[in-house]
Amino acid sequence: MRCAWQAYLNLLPPRLRQKVDNLGREELQELRLRLGRPPELILRRDSRFLSETVQQEDLRYVVNAASRFSPWSSASAAQGYLTAPGGHRVGLCGEMTVQADGSVTGVREVSSLCLRVARDFPGIAQGAGTSGSVLILGKPGSGKTTLLRDLIRQRSQQGDSVAVVDQRGELFPRADGTDCFPPGPRTDVFTGCGKAHGLEMAIRTMGPSCVALDEITEEGDCQALLRAGWCGVDLLATAHAKSREDLLRRTVYRPLVESRIFEKVLILQPDKSWRMERMER
Amino acid sequence: MNGKLLGAMLIVLACGGFGFSLAAAHRREESALAQLIRGLDFMACELQYRLTPLPELCRQTSEELTGPVGQVFAALAERLQSQSQPEAGKCMAEALAAQPELPNQAKRIMGELGQTLGRFDLPGQLQGLDGARQSCRACLEALSRNREGRLRSYQTLGLCAGAALAILFL
Repeated sequence: MRCAWQAYLNLLPPRLRQKVDNLGREELQELRLRLGRPPELILRRDSRFLSETVQQEDLRYVVNAASRFSPWSSASAAQGYLTAPGGHRVGLCGEMTVQADGSVTGVREVSSLCLRVARDFPGIAQGAGTSGSVLILGKPGSGKTTLLRDLIRQRSQQGDSVAVVDQRGELFPRADGTDCFPPGPRTDVFTGCGKAHGLEMAIRTMGPSCVALDEITEEGDCQALLRAGWCGVDLLATAHAKSREDLLRRTVYRPLVESRIFEKVLILQPDKSWRMERMER
Repeated sequence: MNGKLLGAMLIVLACGGFGFSLAAAHRREESALAQLIRGLDFMACELQYRLTPLPELCRQTSEELTGPVGQVFAALAERLQSQSQPEAGKCMAEALAAQPELPNQAKRIMGELGQTLGRFDLPGQLQGLDGARQSCRACLEALSRNREGRLRSYQTLGLCAGAALAILFL
C-alpha cells in the first residue's frame, strides 16, 4: 500500500498532526473537521473523535494548505472540493459564493471539511483482463479511483499506451515534482482540464490504444467517451452506481449502455473487493 | 586651539552626515518602491498567464528583484511553503518583521498587499496587485516632487546646521 502520508499530515493544523498520525497512519480513510466540534477520524472499521475543538483558523489552515494559498489555481473549489498535494481530496462545505445567474464561484466561509486519504493498492486489479473497455461501478468512497489507478497501471505494463484524463489530479498526483503513485511505463496523464476536452486532446495528440477517466457524471462525459470509443480505443472509466441494474436505471448513462461500448463492468463491494460482469443491454 | 578646531570639524561632519543620510534614505525609499512596482508587474503577468500558485509566485518574484524587497518576497515564499501561519497576510507580516532594512512606505504597502494575497479568485487578486501598484506610484510621485531641491536641502541644511553649531560652541 502506498500513500503520500506526510503530504496529508501537512494539510492539518500542527496541533492535530501528532494525534492523527498516531491513530490514522494505516487505518484512516477520512478526517472530518466541523466548526466548533471535535475532529472525527473515519477509520477502516470504526470512527473516533479527538478531544480538540475545530476553530475557524483550523479550517482556513487546511483550505490554504490544500490550495497552496492560491484560490485562482483551484477552479474545483466552485464544485466543492480541492485536490491537495499527494492526491488527497478535501471536500468543502459552508457558505457558498453565488453569482446573480445562480452559478457557484467558490466558498465564502467554510464550516466543514472532509479530508479523504488517497491510497494506492498495487495489484488489486489483477484478474480484470488485459483488453477491452471496462467500466468500474461503486458507491462514493468504495474505491473506484483506486481500482482504476491499478487497472491503468496494469494495462500500461502489459504494453498498452494509456492516456489518462485526470481532471481532479487524484489518479496520479504529484508532490514536490515526483509521482506519488507510479502510473506505469506507457501512461500519459492530462491533469486539470475537463473530461470531454481532455479526451479529445488525448486522442488527437498522444495516439493512445486506451484512454481512462475517473467519474463519468454528465452527459457531455458520456458523449466524449462514445466518440473516443468509436475511434477504436479501449475505454477505462468509473461511474457512481451500486450495481449494473442501478446503472441501467440512470438516464445519464443510457447512451453508454445502449451503445454497448463497455464490454465488462467491475462492481465494487462494501469490503472493497470487486466482481466482474459482462455488459449486456 | 587645535582641539576646538577638531571638535568643530566633527560637529560639521556629524550634522552634514545626518543630512546626507536623510538624502540617502529618500533614495532608498524610491529604489524600494520602484523594485516593488517591478515585482508587482511580474506577479500580475505570471498570474494572468500561468495561474502560478502563491509560494512559487513569490519565489519567482524574489529572483526577479534585488535588495530588501526581493528578500521579503523570498522570506514570504519560504513561510508559505512551510505554512508557518494559517494565512498569507500573517506570513507577510512575519517576513516584513524579519527585514528591518525595508523603507517605511514600501513596508506599509507590502503589509497591505499581504492582506489581499491568497484570499480572492484571479480577478480579485489582480485587483489587489493593482491597488498596491497604484499606492507605490502615488508614493513615488510624492517623493519625486521637488526631488532635486529637497535632496540638496537635506545635504546643505545638515552642513549649515553643523557649521552654525560649531560657531556657537567656538
